[in-house]
Amino acid sequence: MMIVLDQLTKRFGTQTAVDALSFEIPAGQIVGFLGPNGAGKSTTLKMLTGMIEPSGGRATVCGYDLQREPIEVKRHVGFVPESGAVFESLTGLEYLEMVAALYGIPQNAARARIKQFIAFFDLSFETLTDKLLGAYSKGMRRKVVITSALLHNPPVVFFDEPLDGLDANAAVGFKALIQTLAREGKTIVYSSHILDVVERVCHRVIIIDKGRLLLDGKPDELVAAHSAGTLEKLFTQLTGGAELERRAEDFARTFRP
Amino acid sequence: MSATDPTSPSVLPEPVPAPEKILRRLFLTLFLRGRGARGLNKQRVPKSIGEKLALTLGIYLLFGCMALFFLGQPVFALAVYLHAMTFMFLGMFIASSAGEILFNKEEADILLHRPISPKAMLWAKVRVLVEVSLWLAFAFNLAGLFVGFGSAGNWRFPIVHLASTTLEALFCTGCVVLTYQLCLRWFGRERLEGLMTTAQVFVAVAAVMSGQILPRLVFRVGHVLNVGESSWWINLLPPAWFAGLDDAFAGSAALDSWLLAVLAVAVTALILWIAFDKLAHDYETGLQALNETISTRVKKQNHRRWLDRLVNVPPLSWWLRDPVARASFLLTAAYLIRDRDVKLRVYPGIVPILILPFIFLFQNHHPNGSHDIGFGVPFSGIYLGMVPLLGLGILQYSQQWQASDIFRVAPMSGPAQICHGARRAVLCLLALPMLLLVVLIVWLLRGDLSQLILFLPGIIALPVFALVPSIGGKGVPLSLPTDAAKAAGRGLNMILVMIVAFALAWLASLSWSQGWFWWLMLGETIVAIGLYAVMRVALANVRWPSIE
Repeated sequence: MMIVLDQLTKRFGTQTAVDALSFEIPAGQIVGFLGPNGAGKSTTLKMLTGMIEPSGGRATVCGYDLQREPIEVKRHVGFVPESGAVFESLTGLEYLEMVAALYGIPQNAARARIKQFIAFFDLSFETLTDKLLGAYSKGMRRKVVITSALLHNPPVVFFDEPLDGLDANAAVGFKALIQTLAREGKTIVYSSHILDVVERVCHRVIIIDKGRLLLDGKPDELVAAHSAGTLEKLFTQLTGGAELERRAEDFARTFRP
Repeated sequence: MSATDPTSPSVLPEPVPAPEKILRRLFLTLFLRGRGARGLNKQRVPKSIGEKLALTLGIYLLFGCMALFFLGQPVFALAVYLHAMTFMFLGMFIASSAGEILFNKEEADILLHRPISPKAMLWAKVRVLVEVSLWLAFAFNLAGLFVGFGSAGNWRFPIVHLASTTLEALFCTGCVVLTYQLCLRWFGRERLEGLMTTAQVFVAVAAVMSGQILPRLVFRVGHVLNVGESSWWINLLPPAWFAGLDDAFAGSAALDSWLLAVLAVAVTALILWIAFDKLAHDYETGLQALNETISTRVKKQNHRRWLDRLVNVPPLSWWLRDPVARASFLLTAAYLIRDRDVKLRVYPGIVPILILPFIFLFQNHHPNGSHDIGFGVPFSGIYLGMVPLLGLGILQYSQQWQASDIFRVAPMSGPAQICHGARRAVLCLLALPMLLLVVLIVWLLRGDLSQLILFLPGIIALPVFALVPSIGGKGVPLSLPTDAAKAAGRGLNMILVMIVAFALAWLASLSWSQGWFWWLMLGETIVAIGLYAVMRVALANVRWPSIE
């Protein structure tokens, strides 16, 4: 198993963000990690990438214990955070070379890998060397962040809203990329609110709410078992979205500006 | 429909506050709370910023007690001192805050498409700047108000001084805004970012120079400075105009005071009119320009190649063998050279450090050409330890602080190598050039190469000073939101360095005159090596704290 969570818990003061979460993910699987806002998805991903310490339970990534061997865990994971934050006063190339150095990749090897990624993402090398990241469009910046997560060729990759800002073509390319990565044996954890993409791309979905596991299984099987029709409908059924739809209709009827 | 339904026709609509008022409240809240706070707890964020602001005000209040030295002096001398120092503090504060408040990049997306005039937005921001700068000014001037009232026995002094200080705050704000607008008008939007940085650095330098020079002149003119008896050029410095206002209404009421007072009012009015009325439209252009990308292209012969070459030649390539330290060096160097936000805080912050040693140097340099060994030279050398301390302290803060999460995701147990890279960048790009500059000045001033040996105590202490900001792994560059920088916490380190600088400089000059200078150097070297080793080991053992 590439990822194992056993009663993983995170508390912020009195608030429990992740509540005894347990699941396992094998190699080569693309897992959609879903939940409404504030469900604990980003907190879980940050725990699994060693950014925040769990309050309880344990987890292993690639066989390394998160609390005892955090450096080994970090060496084996790539992470695309939701914020997509970059150092805007660096050029794209400078940023990627800096990230490569953090993972101990020599400059020449890093540059060769960067060239492969920019060719894939249809970025020009001139843009990467001459323009500061602050001047990039949101989509271009996202491509740089995705490249930075994959540069060290990690066996496990966590994506938190990776399609945010990407245009349709880039999104199609990205979906093909993660499917290829999974075929090569990489484990992909994909957190997103775009559920039709999750439904089409992921082998399995894990839905959490209020830090707890709600559902875990193959998307088509889960949809069929709950007679929901689509993953989106299943998601709204489980997380109170149906109630929201009713409230939206009420609001539209009664709202008088 | 219930009786409490706001849409009910029986309920009178609440009066809507004017947009200026709403905007002023918004910008003040953002200033106090910060724009980039991480975390869930709304209550904690404003409280912490408020506490820091209160601490800053407390320090200003204590510092203002220096005015007690002016008991029994003429009103003009006291007023010149108070206005010069206020001018420096306000100038520094406004210059460093104006960039973030006036030209915030994200703001265009949030506000420019709303039905708000640029003039209203500008005025709301200016009111916040003036309001906060008046808090600082009031804290600093409080003791001075009592001194003025006590020594002159004049009840009008506190009232007039408060009015003249308010006018001074408006003048400072107007100057900063006007500088931006003129840059925009004369040089175009393509170069706005670079020009804003340069302009702001110059405004801060001017404020510091003006604020530092005048009080010392007050002491130099035989402890008595009366209006009309000083050098003509003193009247060209803005603090003297506002001091004239105080002297005209609550002091000697001499003709010269009245002339200075008229000058203060007229120049302030003129600057406010040009900045906030005549050129208000340019402000909107500036905000729009910030969102355009044309200015952010790096030139062909860019800093990157220069930096690349720098880190690949010995001795720097030997010093930066560790790839993480080298990456951190390049990141820090890029921000010191390119990033407007960092430059605006680093360079104006460093200017006062340069001025103090110069004052000591000049004080020991007699007009007849002779000079004491004094402690001017050793003090200048040791005081330069403040450069890495301040530089690294400021570099921790960035508008892109969230990007530093990459350090935590990377396979590093702690921040030691990142801190070392940043420290080396600051030493190479800030401390070393400043050391060379001070050495050159001393050499030109004294014409005696043998005195340069007196820089040794400073050079030996420099690596230790440079490690201080990294204690506990705090020196990670660009890892904290800029709002957290509005604290007075660094003050303690500064005071510590100043005490060490005074003590070591005194020891150095004493040992030089009594012939045991080299023994002192040996002792200092041993202590410095010991401290350096302990600090490095401590830093190597620091682990990343959880980012909760």
